[in-house]
Amino acid sequence: MTARRGKPVLLLVLAGLALLLAGLAGVYWGTAELSWGARLEALLRLPGAERHLMLIIWEWRLPRVLMVALVGAALALSGVLMQALLRNPLADPYLLGLSSGASAVATAAIVWLPAAFVASIGLPLLAFAGAMLAFLVTLGLAFSPARGLDRLVLILAGIAVSLFFQSVSAFFLHIADPHATRAALQWLMGSAAGTVWRDLLPLAVALPLVALVSLRFSPMLDAVLLGDERAAALGVPVSWLRSGFFTAAALLTGLSVAGAGIVGFVGLIVPHMARLLIGATHRRLIPLALLLGAIVLVLVDLLCRIVLAPQELPLGVLLALFAAPPFILILRRVRHGI
Amino acid sequence: MASEPLLTVDDLLLRKEGKALLQGVGFALRPGRFYGLIGPNGAGKSSLLRLLYRAERASGGSIRFAGRDIGTIGRRAYAARVGALVQEPVSLAGLSLGEVIRLGLLPLRLAPADAAARTAAALATIGLADRADDDAARLSGGEQQRLFFGQLLALDPELYLLDEPHNHLDLHFQYRLLDAIRRRGRTVLASFHDITLAARYCDEALLLDHGRLLEQGPLETVLTPQRLAAVYRIDGHFDAGVLRVHGPV
Repeated sequence: MTARRGKPVLLLVLAGLALLLAGLAGVYWGTAELSWGARLEALLRLPGAERHLMLIIWEWRLPRVLMVALVGAALALSGVLMQALLRNPLADPYLLGLSSGASAVATAAIVWLPAAFVASIGLPLLAFAGAMLAFLVTLGLAFSPARGLDRLVLILAGIAVSLFFQSVSAFFLHIADPHATRAALQWLMGSAAGTVWRDLLPLAVALPLVALVSLRFSPMLDAVLLGDERAAALGVPVSWLRSGFFTAAALLTGLSVAGAGIVGFVGLIVPHMARLLIGATHRRLIPLALLLGAIVLVLVDLLCRIVLAPQELPLGVLLALFAAPPFILILRRVRHGI
Repeated sequence: MASEPLLTVDDLLLRKEGKALLQGVGFALRPGRFYGLIGPNGAGKSSLLRLLYRAERASGGSIRFAGRDIGTIGRRAYAARVGALVQEPVSLAGLSLGEVIRLGLLPLRLAPADAAARTAAALATIGLADRADDDAARLSGGEQQRLFFGQLLALDPELYLLDEPHNHLDLHFQYRLLDAIRRRGRTVLASFHDITLAARYCDEALLLDHGRLLEQGPLETVLTPQRLAAVYRIDGHFDAGVLRVHGPV
């Protein structure tokens, strides 16, 4: 069996087209019964376009679709980086506790800090700090000088840290003012509803930056797949690479949590899907994982909106449902040492 | 006239958790010679090689390559000149054989055509020429060892550091791959447990025990019956490239 399953350029073009279609579906689905011409006019802001439709699309749908696309892509990249640098196929920002750490700090901010501060850059930064803190605790708990980082111990430590921060979040919600609690609770379950353009800024800046740096260092990330010793012998500064990209992964996770709450499993499943399609070489894997992450979350967000319309399901509920089968598959592969 | 040493190690010390893994180790490697690193389990062979391929820093002493302290040489530049075959279990899922070989060329900035030519040549040498696009995760232990040999042969550094190069290899490939390296006339420092194999290749042997270098010289003068008894705890002698063991151990 060959390692590279598809033609990389073709796959990337197809994924790009699929993202475009998913994005259009996300923007248009459920808008009032209008002709495609009228919808296009509204999207392009042509003179004579329906005013209320333009408002729905530009102030409500587009920011939301862009946010879930950014969050999906960011979590997928975060997962790719963590899986490569830990050489652990189960590494994922959600399973290792980063998302819960970010959300605990963010919940504290939402229920106690002034709303104006939370609405500004404050929340993403706090979520980043929370993600980083949780990651360091997980790594600290899992590391033993004799055995290094055992891959299953790492996941157990992550789950423990995740549970701890979830109960911290729950504690904050319990003792806080009920009005603040409601907003925080809705956000905690994962939702990009109510996203405004300004909210997109942190991820729109950080994601392309981290993606470009990751691509620039992709041969070194590949070398780490061969083992720390081999990477060091090939001249790769393994410790620096790891600290730098762990910070980047925590940044992407923190900003994602600040943008759309806890969205689990994307960081775990999407890198595996991408690897099966295009192989493990990061120069090809990173672009495909970014596109697939965005596609998956745009589609899941769309489903969340239409399944129980006019009510909305939280992102996390549907995602967990879809993620369970591939997650079990990955677990079986890990058990067989693949 | 003896040439300048390619690598000089002086009074090397490595401490971990209060234990000295290497102590007062000093030697010099001359260009074009094949050195065997021998000694029982836990003697410090792998630790010494790890310091030389810079996976770790020494706690004391100095390592000089081509006259310069290795800490002052850039990582990539050093890796281009000093390559290592490492013992480290790993899963290569998702990488093709060709991709793994090409990763060995990371320290060099090669044109794609040059990299492709070196990769193809290395795959032929390790006997996997027709499997460049196969998934490396499906290789057996011996095939994986050959693949990493190929990586190193493609890079072709000035100094080859080999940690137990014969591991997992069948007889044919043990000789074929070590011959391929020797034909290139490079400097080699290789750790061996197989003394007969060491005798075929080594111009000189370095005998390590409990983190100290006991002796450096031709294998037959290093492995005296007294040392075989003291270091390896076997009753035997070394005779015309063959280790002869007397009686049960």
